[in-house]
Amino acid sequence: MTLVRQAYLLLWKDVLLELRRRDSLLTMFFFGTLLLFVFHFSFDLAPEKIAEMAPALLWLAFLFTGTLGLAQLFQAERDNHCFDALLLSPLDRGALFLAKSGFNLVLMVLVEAVVIPLFWILFNLRSWNLLPQVFLVTLLGTIGFCVLGTLMSAITLRARARELLLPLVLFPLMIPVILATIRCMEEVLHAGHIGEAMPWLRLLLGFDVIFLTAGVLIFDWVIES
Amino acid sequence: MAKELRPVHETKGILGALALVAVAVGLYWSLVVAPPDAYQGEVQRIMYLHLPSILIAYLSYFLVFVGSGLYLWKREKRDDILAHAAAEIGVLFTALTIIEGSIWGRPTWGVWWTWDARLTLTAILLLIYVGYLMLRSLIEDEQRAATAAAVLGIIGFLDIPLIHMSVYWWRTLHQPPSILRPDKLPWENVHPSMLTALTISFVGFLLLYFYLLSVRYRVGEMRQEIKALRLERGAR
Amino acid sequence: MRAWGFVAAAYGIVWGVILLYLYSLKRRYDQAAAELERLRSTEASAGHEEK
Repeated sequence: MTLVRQAYLLLWKDVLLELRRRDSLLTMFFFGTLLLFVFHFSFDLAPEKIAEMAPALLWLAFLFTGTLGLAQLFQAERDNHCFDALLLSPLDRGALFLAKSGFNLVLMVLVEAVVIPLFWILFNLRSWNLLPQVFLVTLLGTIGFCVLGTLMSAITLRARARELLLPLVLFPLMIPVILATIRCMEEVLHAGHIGEAMPWLRLLLGFDVIFLTAGVLIFDWVIES
Repeated sequence: MAKELRPVHETKGILGALALVAVAVGLYWSLVVAPPDAYQGEVQRIMYLHLPSILIAYLSYFLVFVGSGLYLWKREKRDDILAHAAAEIGVLFTALTIIEGSIWGRPTWGVWWTWDARLTLTAILLLIYVGYLMLRSLIEDEQRAATAAAVLGIIGFLDIPLIHMSVYWWRTLHQPPSILRPDKLPWENVHPSMLTALTISFVGFLLLYFYLLSVRYRVGEMRQEIKALRLERGAR
Repeated sequence: MRAWGFVAAAYGIVWGVILLYLYSLKRRYDQAAAELERLRSTEASAGHEEK
């Protein structure tokens, strides 16, 4: 069985589990929306300013929401002591990495698909035509987040104060993604297309590729019983 | 075991002595021999601390990377000890770099802190490796802590070039509209004795670094042995 | 001169911190060495007794 097929099966298992209970998905969605409200009260912005701040606010909301999802990522395996089974099976650990990153990606994309239009509505933005590009940029940033986040989630699994430690180790490493995603989004909202922010987009792509590869290779050593 | 102790101990002593000499000479050259900078005045002397500090920090983090990689590959305790020691000393020198940069910045730019590329990058570096140390201390199981830290040591180091690029682009493309231009190099015309001061200081820091590393490594090694002995005793 | 004040602060803090770290290292080193010595000697005598 190929790596991708293994990953797909594991991913599908997680998706099925989630479809039944929808815990993570709903929590993340409501938390993301809640953050938008909090931002609205915190930054009492004039309408013109909101378009400027939109990329940063959106991405911050997704960062925190995504971290929630990451904390939950290996919960089922932990609760049910599945790691031994996974270790004993002839499964490629890299497949587990792809599956878990993929699952968090699915959750985040679903949340973003709702929260981004919601943001446009709540903050009275007009640039609906730019949404596809905004989605694309967000997707690339989310991939980077999920890939690195899954790695960090896995290694902090047995740590004390895990909920605090996970963001602590993850966020500094995320800085290229944060910068690149927000700059790209700003350019899109400002100029209508990526254009000048192309280098940032390439950086983002590079980041995704590098850490996706590193994650697949390194995950063999990450999961122990 | 005792056979290994002696050569290391002797080397450490020699290393320490050499470091002391180099540091002393470096101090003399930095503070007395080298002339003050034409533009920055005496304050420029802080650069004889600042540049070696950051280079040593990067060297240390590279060693964390190497130790982490070797540990994941071979699973030999000594690589993990090296990585931990290098991370600890790396954090020390990074913190010093930031302090030196800040003190240099106050008379030069008028502010204690600015979000220029260099200072920002150094701060991020500090955050990453402080996170590394916290990760180690928060995981009970030693084997797991070592593995987790090794992964972070590798991933963190791989991220550094990307963080560099993104922060530099950010700072050069979005230059704040002020008179301050913090990204300019500290000096334009370099007097030869300034270069000498810098070189000697760097050598001094380097020797000092390896001395600190060897002592810290030995501490880690001893602790490892203590654990092993205690385990043995418990088993009996 | 104000400038020398900053230089003194920088050099003072840097070498002060390094000396503090050296002191911390020495303490840890001595503690570990003492503990190791203690364990080794008691192990030697215990092994002796078992014979």
